[in-house]
Amino acid sequence: MKKKMRADDLIRSGLNRGQRALSEYESKKLLGLYGIPVTREKLSHSADEAVSVADGLGFPVVLKACSAELMHKSERGCIELNLRSKGDVREAYGRIIQGVDLELEGVLVQEMVPGQRELVVGLNRDSQFGPCVMLGIGGIMTEVFQDTVFRIAPLDTIEAKDMAEELRFKTILGAFRGQKPVDMDMLCHTLIAVGQIGLELETVSELDINPMIITPEGRVIAADALVVLRRDVK
Amino acid sequence: MESIEASPLYPIANPKSIALFGASNNASSMGTSLLDSVLDLGFEGEIYPIHLKENQVQNLKAYRSVLDLPKVPDLALIVLPTRLVSETMDACGRKGIKHAIVISGGFKEVGGNGVKLEKDLIAVAKKHGIRYLGPNCIGVANPRQKLNTTFMTLEGGPGFIGMASQSGSFVTQMFTYLSDCALGFSTAFSVGNEANIDIVDCMEYLGACADTKVIALYIEGIRRGRAFVEMARSIVPKKPIVAFYIGGSEAGSRAGLSHTGALAGPDRLYEGIFRQSGIIRARSIMELFDYCWVLGSLPMSTGRRVLIQTHSGGPGAEAADACGRAGLELPSLSPETIKRLRPLMPQTGSISNPLDFTFGKNLTDYFSEIPKALLEEKNADYLLFYFFTPSRRLKRMLRQAGVAPDHIPEQTAKLVDFQSDAILRLIKTHDKPFVGYTFQSVTDPLLRRLVERGVPIFQGPERAALAIEAAYQYTCLRDKILASASQSFQPSAHLPA
Repeated sequence: MKKKMRADDLIRSGLNRGQRALSEYESKKLLGLYGIPVTREKLSHSADEAVSVADGLGFPVVLKACSAELMHKSERGCIELNLRSKGDVREAYGRIIQGVDLELEGVLVQEMVPGQRELVVGLNRDSQFGPCVMLGIGGIMTEVFQDTVFRIAPLDTIEAKDMAEELRFKTILGAFRGQKPVDMDMLCHTLIAVGQIGLELETVSELDINPMIITPEGRVIAADALVVLRRDVK
Repeated sequence: MESIEASPLYPIANPKSIALFGASNNASSMGTSLLDSVLDLGFEGEIYPIHLKENQVQNLKAYRSVLDLPKVPDLALIVLPTRLVSETMDACGRKGIKHAIVISGGFKEVGGNGVKLEKDLIAVAKKHGIRYLGPNCIGVANPRQKLNTTFMTLEGGPGFIGMASQSGSFVTQMFTYLSDCALGFSTAFSVGNEANIDIVDCMEYLGACADTKVIALYIEGIRRGRAFVEMARSIVPKKPIVAFYIGGSEAGSRAGLSHTGALAGPDRLYEGIFRQSGIIRARSIMELFDYCWVLGSLPMSTGRRVLIQTHSGGPGAEAADACGRAGLELPSLSPETIKRLRPLMPQTGSISNPLDFTFGKNLTDYFSEIPKALLEEKNADYLLFYFFTPSRRLKRMLRQAGVAPDHIPEQTAKLVDFQSDAILRLIKTHDKPFVGYTFQSVTDPLLRRLVERGVPIFQGPERAALAIEAAYQYTCLRDKILASASQSFQPSAHLPA
């Protein structure tokens, strides 16, 4: 149960700092502990550092303001996508620092994951049914399509596959405009792992992975994540 | 549960003796009307009315106190004013009664003091170890045991539908409706406030009940969520469960901080939970019983390929459209079947799927040789059959054929018997499920005869198509659960230890 201990540590330090949620960076660390594929990324604290991290990751990259207070970033000008050079990164870093009036944990530099297909994977807690896993069509259109399915945790592979089968727009998971079908095993493992987080970590009240990008090769990668915490559990 | 007798609901659904609280000689009281229901169906066990003043209630010897009874009855039926229920339950406990139905309302469902009264009731029952249905329910109907604790007259005979309902009306108001389709309840429970026995307990009982071929649920909200899922998954491999759920009214649920929280409205959540539980979801009460009809009376087919037989283009096209929208497949006829059908079909007919007989050479073939060929088509799983001949048309045909007027009724009856017997024989000798649809009334003698012998015949193809799809869904859900059970839970290989 090493991963649970490390996840508990991560959450405890967040709670001790008075956070209601984990930052994106912390959230993905937690997901990574449970074997969920996440973007390669690193926090930077200066433009120089951002440039050197970007250089290490390889271009293009994404820059994001990182703070536990920033739960929904896209509306607030805190994301700079598709940065193709050191100069792009330096300028974008400046815009983020100027544009955000919050104290930041840092600026997150992450690989820009290719892929037009976006899913949402999540966890919520129902008072009667306990931890429930969600799969849906994600990205900025999540609330427009409202194509989501739920299962109570734990899930096995058969049930995880059945979730995908239940989506109205499930054709998005097949071969799509020259892109490969989704790696179903990888998607199922992610759904199962999210259920496991719900069962093992009582201090996690809700969780969003949105978007969960399907790459042209069919891999799934968590490009953004939010872990909402519960303060009332000891 | 080792056997059905171990269920707390067994003595409640199969009592040999009942103590009844609330019946009197006042015809307008609820308790009196309930006693009348019990007597009306001819309950064969002992009934002990308890009344403070009367010596006789409805010609039955009455007792002043439950403690005076000559024996300990299996069941207490309580239809008293709310404030008297707890003390009555206490007296039952002192007598040694272990099972009860509390019909009385005025508890948690009204809020305020009712909440406290329900807590008192729970405490008293717990002290004596009494298991009970209710409060605020209409109890149980078990036609085979001639038991009906509801106010409504139980019409129709026993059937194969086991029901557990969070609304009493979907038990009592359905008696006639089901009886018209020659359907009925094996046992139906109204669960009321579920203070003690809940819908999960009812599912366990109905899962073990040999007379129940399919379980129908009406759900407004589930309290023991995880137990519900586990119970359903343990039953579904043996028998289908269909649920009608209404509860999406708290739209948007709570405002969560996450997308997931915001999207987790109750309707979506229940949709997934039903599927995980292996439960088929119906969208209305009529659909609920349509599904039960097909699931309880037909052999299970693992496919969804449907053949349609009609005598006319319109009903065939409509049926094909309904099947398509329901997700069913319409296979082509195999060359062998086409060869068999050719000599049976008129020139104007169409030997394809839907098969269109048009105005036929020999009407007898429509009810015998043609469906026989279709039932033996190896590329199909269901036969959806259109019934078009009402008896009035038969009468006219006979008149035109020169049959003497006074012989027409007898000849019509003979024709009806011939047609229905032909169909019944085919159904009996073939494994392929047969579903009928019609725009005639099911009171038509031909249709009535078939329906009474267990053939599902729907008003319009849409209902038939949806019911067939539900039956197909059942086999998928059942197989999914069986596959899950046979493979031990394997944590993801991608996950680090």
